[in-house]
Order: sequence, then structure tokens, then C-alpha cells
Amino acid sequence: MTVTAIDLQTRIDSYLMNLRRSLGELPPEEVNDILREIRGHILERAEAAGELSDEKLVAILKVLGKPEDIGPLYQAEAMVARARSSFSPALIFRTVMRWSMMSALGFLVFLVGLTGYSLGIGFLACSALKPIFPEHVGAWVGDGGFSMGFMDAASRTEILGWWIIPVGLVGGAVSIIATTRFLRWMLRFAPRVRRATA
Amino acid sequence: MIPSDTEYRAMPDENWRSQLRKGWLELAILVTLWDGRLYGLEILRRLADLELIVAEGTIYPLLNRLRDDSLVRAEWEESNSGHPRKYYSLTAAGRRRTLSMAQESAGLIEQMRALLAPLLKEKQS
Repeated sequence: MTVTAIDLQTRIDSYLMNLRRSLGELPPEEVNDILREIRGHILERAEAAGELSDEKLVAILKVLGKPEDIGPLYQAEAMVARARSSFSPALIFRTVMRWSMMSALGFLVFLVGLTGYSLGIGFLACSALKPIFPEHVGAWVGDGGFSMGFMDAASRTEILGWWIIPVGLVGGAVSIIATTRFLRWMLRFAPRVRRATA
Repeated sequence: MIPSDTEYRAMPDENWRSQLRKGWLELAILVTLWDGRLYGLEILRRLADLELIVAEGTIYPLLNRLRDDSLVRAEWEESNSGHPRKYYSLTAAGRRRTLSMAQESAGLIEQMRALLAPLLKEKQS
């Protein structure tokens, strides 16, 4: 069965729409550039096929690959590239999470990041909770150890008092910024490709 | 015929295969650009005889990365066919990289061939 120009167009458009969906968070001009290039590929293959049948078009798209497989390849490469020049902890940490699934180094960096951010959030939580539970939140000494946070104060002594609020804020900010800077610096060792492109 | 369990295990792992091809594909693309600029489909046609490409669409993200790494430059050009084509060419850094990748690969191929020869000969006889 031969396909009309309109059928052809619809099929290509739906392929490109799926591709666009799996491209994710790329900048719009890059998305347009990618779609234009892939459209050109399909059209030129179609022209070379002579009289275009449904089967031929299906074959062209099959050899090209599934949009869901190709889209993420762009994304993975762009994600690391963008995270490297970003200061957003969310973007950086997400990129590190992906990296952690690929290699032992990535996993190690992920663990450091997780510890650093947990510490930062812990500090901030101390500051935020102190006014609400003044008797239970603090920096505690006793039982041969030191800890910061929420506890029943029976056998321990609180040493910071209300100072825990500024200490928590500064400690939290320093932990989060230092962790972000460290992760960002480590990303230079992350591979550019999430998985094989062949 | 459906391969048996042991035959399945004897087949190379898909991930290993694609990793192996991925490294070669990058070099192969750079080499096709050695003599001048080409657009995506022309690169694919040059590489058609190699069993490197499983899905054609995968070369485009790879070309994008080579461009981000400043090894190739890309420029759009209108064509007679009615749709514009994106042409890729090697930058100076790309030429240097291609040459050193080619030398390193050629050395590795020699070494691997020597390593594999006895094993493959044994299988033949």
C-alpha cells in the first residue's frame, strides 16, 4: 500500500513528537535543532526509497531507532554538561544520582552528597525546631558523646541554648554549599554518556 | 530455533557488545570527517558496511556531544532537496584527537589480534 504525502507527514510528526517528549529538559532552541535534523534524515531516507510504501516508512523509522531510546541519549549528555555549570543543588544532585547508577565512583560521590545534604538539612532543622520544642532541641553533651538534635534530655547537658539557631543556620548553609561545590567539582569525572550509543 | 540455556550464556552480553561498539563508533565518525564535511546521513552511508551501528539515530546525540567537546563544528545549509542539512566538519582539535585515537586503536588492534590468534586458530582446527 502506498501512503499519501499527508499520511507520511502524520507518521513522521508522531515520531518526532515522541522524540520531543523523551528529550526532556533541553533548551527549546536545542530541541528544535535536534528535531530538524532528525526530520531531515527521515525525509531524505524516504525520498531515496523511491515510491514510498507504509512498510518502507516503518522500516526507515525502525532502523533509526525508538524515540524513547534516542531522546535520553541527548538528555544524558546535556544533563551532565548543564549540571557542571549549574549551582542548583537539585539539578546537581539528580545528575549525581544518575551517575551513581553507572559506576562505583558515582555511587561514592552520591554517598558523600547524601551525607553532606543530610547534615545540612539536620542543622537547618535544629534552627527551625528550637522555637517549637525548646526543651528537646539542642546540642547535647553526656554519655561520653556529643550530638545535635532532638532528644529527651534526661542524662545529657545542653550546651548551646538559643545559640543553636544561628549555629544551625550557618552550619546548614555551609554544609549545603560545600556539598554542592564538591559534587559539582566531582562531576568533571562523570561520563558524558549514560549508556551505549551504538 | 530457540537457543538453549547454555547457548544463551555463551552469547556475548548485549551491554558488552554495545560498549565495545560505542568506542569504535566515535572514532569511525571522526574518521569519516577526515577528508571534509558531511551531514548525518552521509556519515551513516560511509559507515553502512561496518557492523557498528545498530540504530541509526544514535549517531546524532554522539555528533552533538562531539560538537559540545569542540571536536567537530556543525553548520546548517539549505539543500536542493527542500530541507536543510546539518553539516559536520572536524576542528583543529578534532583532527588531532582523531589522529591520536587512530594510532592508539591501531596499536590495540595489533595486540588483541596477537592475543586472540591462538584461540581462534584452535577453534578452526
